[in-house]
Amino acid sequence: MKKNPNHHFATQTRRALKEQASNWSKNLSLPETHALTKRLSETEPPEKEFRLGVIHTYTSDLLDPWLHFHAVTQGINLKTYHAPYGLNLMESQKDSGLYAHAPDMILFMLTLDDIHPEFSNPDSGLHLHQEDDLFQDAVKRVLEILAMFRANTSARIVLTLLPPIMPPALGIYDAQSRHSENLWRTSLKKQLAGALNNAFESTLFFDMDQILADIGRFHFFDFRFWYASRFPFTPLAANEFARRLVNLMAISVYPRAKVIALDADNTLWGGIIGEDGINGIALGPEYPGNTYVAFQRRLLDLQKRGFILALCSKNNTEDVHEILDNHPHQILRRHHFAAERINWLPKVDNLVALSDELNLGLEAFIFVDDSSHECDIIRSRLPQIEVIQTPSKPIDIPMCLEQVARLEILSLTEEDALKTQLYAQEKQRKQFRQNASALGGDLNSYLASLKMKMRIEIDSRKNIARLAQLTQKTNQFNVTTRRYSEQQILDFTESNQWTVSSFTLSDIFGNSGIVGLALFHKLTDKAIDIDNFLMSCRVIGRSAESAFLYAMLDYFARMGITQITATYIPTQKNNLVADFFNRHGFTPENETGHYKRNLSASPLDRNLFPPIEIEIENTGA
Amino acid sequence: MSVLEQVIHVVAETLNVSPSTITRESTAENTNGWDSLAHVNLMIAIEQTFDIALDVEDFAKLNSIQSITKFIEKMQPDQA
Repeated sequence: MKKNPNHHFATQTRRALKEQASNWSKNLSLPETHALTKRLSETEPPEKEFRLGVIHTYTSDLLDPWLHFHAVTQGINLKTYHAPYGLNLMESQKDSGLYAHAPDMILFMLTLDDIHPEFSNPDSGLHLHQEDDLFQDAVKRVLEILAMFRANTSARIVLTLLPPIMPPALGIYDAQSRHSENLWRTSLKKQLAGALNNAFESTLFFDMDQILADIGRFHFFDFRFWYASRFPFTPLAANEFARRLVNLMAISVYPRAKVIALDADNTLWGGIIGEDGINGIALGPEYPGNTYVAFQRRLLDLQKRGFILALCSKNNTEDVHEILDNHPHQILRRHHFAAERINWLPKVDNLVALSDELNLGLEAFIFVDDSSHECDIIRSRLPQIEVIQTPSKPIDIPMCLEQVARLEILSLTEEDALKTQLYAQEKQRKQFRQNASALGGDLNSYLASLKMKMRIEIDSRKNIARLAQLTQKTNQFNVTTRRYSEQQILDFTESNQWTVSSFTLSDIFGNSGIVGLALFHKLTDKAIDIDNFLMSCRVIGRSAESAFLYAMLDYFARMGITQITATYIPTQKNNLVADFFNRHGFTPENETGHYKRNLSASPLDRNLFPPIEIEIENTGA
Repeated sequence: MSVLEQVIHVVAETLNVSPSTITRESTAENTNGWDSLAHVNLMIAIEQTFDIALDVEDFAKLNSIQSITKFIEKMQPDQA
């Protein structure tokens, strides 16, 4: 019998298994996978449920053991439904098995042949001049099919195409040819993904070719199962596909990660700065220093995905700054970090302080450190924080964050890519304010000196992803904490009964991007209800909330609306806005948390408007 | 564990049933859940557990506890 290298995983906890999943899950045999799934479901029953529906034109049911296994390690109780084989449009109807399953995600596992008959025509010999028409036609067909499903569900739709089983028709010469198969496949994928993005909210093109590239065609396809049972995957590919798919589920059921808090010594470079000095640490073009350079580059990639970087190091501040400012091979400079705590205090205290400074909850933090001691303390004292211990061998460092589910993203807005820059502006603003108050200035003159401009957009469809993201991510300045999907926000912008209003704020330091959102529900011609009113923590303390609310009340008053109702729903985190409506001229109703304001009885007083220049654009009208 | 016991264990684990319901006489035909789809996963499980490679031609023949056991004993004479 085969020696079992994974024997010691038989008793590990879910957390330990999850953190090490990249190293061992690929070596698990199917019976071991079954056994581990069973044990974990019993010892640590998953708290989150997730329902997956699969539409497939090749065998997908056999993925279940791997899907369930990865789901359980992520703490997800996964329910799968595999539709009858084929791209069956009946499944899009309300009496279908898929609809009855009420999926959170619908996965379309298709082959190229399914999306256009011409792709399966062995005689077609694709030519460049035909490509454009054919692709447009194929994209149109896909959109038509997905629209039928979208009509009856707001589940996330994920489309994936099986990679080509055969190497390119022209073999080695492919790249050289004007008819390069690889090239046109890439171009088709790009068009498909772009079209999906524009046509529907909550969709994702899942590029299975990435897995093919990672593990290689020889290790991806099992021809025996493909030709005998139309199941394409080797166990290795099945495991990897399942792992990535479950990652997508994990990011939608868990709080979003926003901050990567990094240790410095033996994490960003090899060695200890306090002992080895700037010339002694491993960081540069040679091994092992180059692995740390590669890791820092990867951290910059993660910053581009919208995660902000913070430093949390036990060191003398000046020692670390010396590296950040002066080491020739250091990639991450001081401006790349939105906040830092470099001192000798316990890291628990420093992480809490970082959370306060950044105005982001601890559950938004991912802590990365090489020390098992520090990692264990954070795990037990701050269980909200996901802890990643960096590997002990430098060679494993560059890839060590690749498997972290919550570092994947499902959408990317302009604000995401600029996040750290925005936090850096905020740092400058705070400094400016401290200087102003040191000179004896009051809050209003400070605000006026910022020369703020607010730009309000009403029912705009340009930034749906960002608006949905705001409802999903904002916890503190959020009066009802009602979360909405991109599809729901889009529906609101198109409805006569709803007004979706958002704002960007700029000042002498820069532009904040979209940081505030309010949803108004029209009750009658004279009355509206504030369904939600929220603002990113980034702009707290600049009276933007008052300016935004007054501007919107003014907007509605001009439309003849006199009755405004509002609700405050308390959560563990939104105490900040408990008296928001009280402070803005609303009167509490008998029922707790309900407020109203009559604009004809108590009209807006312009003297209360903060010193912010406001511009309103109604793009939806 | 004898090869027979190991085979019973693997089949039970793959079909997600209790090992006590699988016997030397169990076949794809008389066992609930041992359908053509589960058979693919069973082939994977047998290859991984016994560290052997199967030909696609073998798949259809390996449709009972007895045939699987005999096949493995032949591939691994030292364990018979």
